[in-house]
Amino acid sequence: MSTIIIDPTGERSVVERTLTERPVSLEGRVVGLLDISKPRGDIFLNRIEERLTGLGAKVLRFKKPTFTKPAPVDLRHEIAMQCEVVIEALAD
Amino acid sequence: MSVTTTATPPAPTVAPPLPDGLVAVVKRECATCVLVTPVLAQLASAPSVTLSVFTQDDPDFPDGISSMHDDDLALSWHHDIETVPTLLRVEGGREVGRIVGWSRPEWEAFTGVADLGPGLPEWRPGCGSLSVDPNLADDLRVRFTGSTLRGRRVELASLEDEWEAMFDRGWTDGLPVVPPTEARVLRMLEGTTRHPQDVVAIVPPDLVAVTVEKVAVNAVMAGCKPEYLPVVLAAVEAACNDEFNIHGVLATTMPVGPLIIVNGPIRRAIGMNSGINVLGQGNRANSTIGRALQLVIRNVGGGRPNEVDRATHGNPGKVGWCVPEDEEGSPWTPLSVARGFPAGMSTVTLFPAEGPRCVVDQLARDAGQLATSFAAALRTVHHPKLPLGFDAVLVVGPEHARVFADAGWNREQLVAELDARLQLPGSEIIRGAGGMAEGIPERLRDATLPKFRPGGLLVVHAGGGAGLFSTVIGGWANGAIGSQPVTKEITS
Amino acid sequence: MHDIADLESRGIPSAFVATVEFITAAEAQSASLGLATARVFTPHPVQDRTDAEMVEYADSVFDEIVSKVTRTP
Repeated sequence: MSTIIIDPTGERSVVERTLTERPVSLEGRVVGLLDISKPRGDIFLNRIEERLTGLGAKVLRFKKPTFTKPAPVDLRHEIAMQCEVVIEALAD
Repeated sequence: MSVTTTATPPAPTVAPPLPDGLVAVVKRECATCVLVTPVLAQLASAPSVTLSVFTQDDPDFPDGISSMHDDDLALSWHHDIETVPTLLRVEGGREVGRIVGWSRPEWEAFTGVADLGPGLPEWRPGCGSLSVDPNLADDLRVRFTGSTLRGRRVELASLEDEWEAMFDRGWTDGLPVVPPTEARVLRMLEGTTRHPQDVVAIVPPDLVAVTVEKVAVNAVMAGCKPEYLPVVLAAVEAACNDEFNIHGVLATTMPVGPLIIVNGPIRRAIGMNSGINVLGQGNRANSTIGRALQLVIRNVGGGRPNEVDRATHGNPGKVGWCVPEDEEGSPWTPLSVARGFPAGMSTVTLFPAEGPRCVVDQLARDAGQLATSFAAALRTVHHPKLPLGFDAVLVVGPEHARVFADAGWNREQLVAELDARLQLPGSEIIRGAGGMAEGIPERLRDATLPKFRPGGLLVVHAGGGAGLFSTVIGGWANGAIGSQPVTKEITS
Repeated sequence: MHDIADLESRGIPSAFVATVEFITAAEAQSASLGLATARVFTPHPVQDRTDAEMVEYADSVFDEIVSKVTRTP
């Protein structure tokens, strides 16, 4: 059974968690591509990398050890410290 | 499908009506209720009596007597049944009398039926009613009074850890907060007699009206006990007005945050610490009351670091700072009395405070010498060459206070003696003097200016019994655009 | 999806790409995590596609991916 709490705020904004603010453009940004390690995902991400480089972004590639579990904390830290934006692919 | 749902509050429950005549409330898990079963049978068949029986637990109890099942305990709760068996007399839907437990003479007099329970002992005490069972108390409170809460309900997602959920929504000060469930908020509201929907203050910077209920939600998060709530409410009132100017205190680049100084009987009642480490950690009331105020500013008022809060450095007290004055060991009147409030009244005094600074003087035996040490330290509040613009709090430790007490100095004399030693010659404090650019304009070189405006130095007695130390706490800008200390009564 | 939610909470705009087979599962996971994650869906299947076909998939969703991690000023 889920927990119900009373909102502590002035209730001026929506209660849903919001996504973090996006940059206006990817030009000059470090974009991380996280491969979840399912087959064929690398081909997909190679093309995404090409297109992003074409936009002027700097692309870093990362790979999860297995698609069956969330990424290890160390990998998340590595990604978080180096990247400004992340795209994770390709789940099927 | 939304990812966080706002849950609908439960429908209000109404007190179930009582049937006229005699009403018995019983439960099987009570030896006395079992004992009086034959008495209930006698009453049920007595021609002069209309008897209704309500059972709290087993619907088949009492055996052989028809009864109604108060399965959600609504009847017991709303009619304040604390003991079983309870026997009520009801006329026109209203209770006109009640007795509890078993006593033959009492039951015979109450019911008007003679020879009740032959063979039973003369009397037997009752048992606790299920509607006041401590194990059920929280659930019952939510069930029957939860609807009085008006705050938006937030249902956490199934994989959300309830503590992480508070961080993820930006509702904390960086430390964990207690998730404010309905049960916890209702329990917190028991700490005040004020109505939950009373508006306490309008909170800057967003100028949002905050109710007793919303303060209670944040008090739960801060880790307060219900008995601390009156202090928190008084602090919110004292902070959110033009005089104290919490908006200015929040938005400044200076390091200040609200310091709450507590006077009066409430300090002992809620177990505050005015002795060893009074300005530090370790005491729940000291640590959580100030935090509750800051969470209200943050969550209700919208005042957060990097947004409205632009402090260059801030200070650790901004997590929350609340200290009681040590009145019992003090040679002086309490701060509250000095500020015009009656002795014996519990009060909060709000002061816009930077971090504390220690004043060491382990050699002065003479009050005048000690005052001179204090003055030297006080002169440097924010800058030795800046007079009048800032207030300060001087926390005198007990060993230092004794030096002044031995000289017969009362509070007023101490302040006057400090003031006399803080008359700053213009030539020393004009810009450029002493090789420091800061200071007052050159045209004031022949003036003498006091370090503090009249009433700008507040003296508080607190601290451990050992240690020839006192503490100086600088304030923020005073005057029309700044902040004045504010004192308010704490009411229940 | 946990990785995306974690990175978002660290202040890193993130997007998750999956095939359309994943739509309901992604929505459910997102709801359980309490965060409306940014998601883009490609055609299905993937396992038996040629390299050229995978490149086509990537091109077909590239603009959408970019739109999920940028904002209009």
